[in-house]
Amino acid sequence: MKWLDEPQDEAERLVREGLDLAKQRLGDELMHRRVWAKVAETAETPEPRSTRRWLWTSAAATLLAAAGLFAYVRIYRVTSLPSTPTVATNTPPSTAPLPVAPAGTAVGSETEIVPLESERGPGNVIRAREGERLRVALGGGATAELEEKSAMTWDSQHRPTIQRGIARLAVPHQPPGWRFSVTAGPYVVTVVGTKFEVRVSNRTVGVDVTEGVVEVWRNSHSTRLAAGESWHGPLYPDEAASTSESASSVSSAAPERPQPLPAAAKPLSSATARSLQEAETALQAGDAAKAIEILSRTAQGTGPAAENAAYELGHITRYNLNRPRQAVALWDKYRNRFPNGLLRTETDLSIVETLSQMGEVQAALAEANTFLTHHPNSERRLDVQRLAERLRAQAATEAK
Amino acid sequence: MVAWRCLYDRYAPLVLRFASALGVPAEEREDAVQDIFIAVFRSLKHFRGEAQLSTWIYRIAARHAIRLGRRRRARETMRVAMMKEKPPIVTDPSERSTQLATLDRMLGKLPPKKRAVLVLFEIEGLSAKEISDVVGCPENTVWSRLHHARSEMVKAARRMAS
Repeated sequence: MKWLDEPQDEAERLVREGLDLAKQRLGDELMHRRVWAKVAETAETPEPRSTRRWLWTSAAATLLAAAGLFAYVRIYRVTSLPSTPTVATNTPPSTAPLPVAPAGTAVGSETEIVPLESERGPGNVIRAREGERLRVALGGGATAELEEKSAMTWDSQHRPTIQRGIARLAVPHQPPGWRFSVTAGPYVVTVVGTKFEVRVSNRTVGVDVTEGVVEVWRNSHSTRLAAGESWHGPLYPDEAASTSESASSVSSAAPERPQPLPAAAKPLSSATARSLQEAETALQAGDAAKAIEILSRTAQGTGPAAENAAYELGHITRYNLNRPRQAVALWDKYRNRFPNGLLRTETDLSIVETLSQMGEVQAALAEANTFLTHHPNSERRLDVQRLAERLRAQAATEAK
Repeated sequence: MVAWRCLYDRYAPLVLRFASALGVPAEEREDAVQDIFIAVFRSLKHFRGEAQLSTWIYRIAARHAIRLGRRRRARETMRVAMMKEKPPIVTDPSERSTQLATLDRMLGKLPPKKRAVLVLFEIEGLSAKEISDVVGCPENTVWSRLHHARSEMVKAARRMAS
């Protein structure tokens, strides 16, 4: 019999359930494969010999001495100059000048926030108040510097989301096949490793690239931006499209480059938008059942809202209710209803991953092969390819 | 390499779970698992088969996770000293994540040695003998640490529940 198998009170129940859940925390397939790639690569290289270590130590000591000398010279120069306003001390070094906060705003001291993995989820909002600047660790070495009066959260796929204001992001180089994504309004900005700034105002979303290359996505369309390039688009593209049809007066939101926007979709009615908002609020409050109830109603309609709701139903069932089989059935329903839907790629991918996590080797392999045929240009192609290889090996072992 | 791959496939999920329960934060877990397996493969030639392979891997993982924890606590102390106020209190809508986060908070209140024993016994399912091999202490000490860790966990849970 296990310890606390018959809990006497709420506290004991909390401990027992927590321990039982912790036993299931085994990580995901993709992560294990990613780590293996790094382990295999490193383990194959010969172990450094002591002479080599000695050489490295000497080199490090020399570098350290040089850095010390350099710091000393710099401090000497700074203290001999007239005093200047304080700038964030740990702004990432960059060859290109980073954009500065608007004139007249006193930037206060910078606070660093390191949210836990469990805290990097929907509903958790980090706000920088007036005169405050926050540096938020996003995991994987990526950081976001939130300017004052800015806010960020995480979407249902645990991607950082800039809600409003200015965020400067620094993303270290990602492993092959992996991309870091951040969302802003209806856009997804994906990067391999770079520094860039995302601005979200009441009506527009802007991206300025300082280093590297980023892609701004909306549904299945994208625009690639190199260092020094900027892009901006409307925060509510559907609304902007309908306004421009009637009045052609959105010149302030005109893009500097061709926009990655698909043909104007039907704008959401205020009732639908309200329903989606209610569903999101319910989800953030932990009431998945209510969110499902609202989304089920929305999914019965037509247009992008119904499509989005149909996809989200599967997502909530999978990740909030932890019912993978039911989630696959819901996503399958989505595919039948929206065979060329805007979220089709995401849905196919979700099904592959979920089936694989469920241990349904043959079904996952079939889905992975179909994914590779249907989405040859997907950014997740490489991951799915590796997963398919793994599943094939597993299937062969099982057959023996 | 095939044998290494098999070994990795078999033990990586366990190592990841163990590292999580010992408090390695999510953003460091991948690197921790990577470092542990590199250490495992490089030391494999020294493995004499006196203990079970899993016990030996847990031993390497525990050492690594405790070392990481020490570094993290030092960083945290610096961070708290430099911060003007606490970060915002956040909640997770997912019940599963909330329960795990609560457990992590409770485990976080235990001293590292007691935490390691409790995790190895309650989550990893090792026997007291195996735990004594992993953490390098007599079996009686394992039982006593487990007893203290359990009662401290329940006390922490009661404080949280109230």
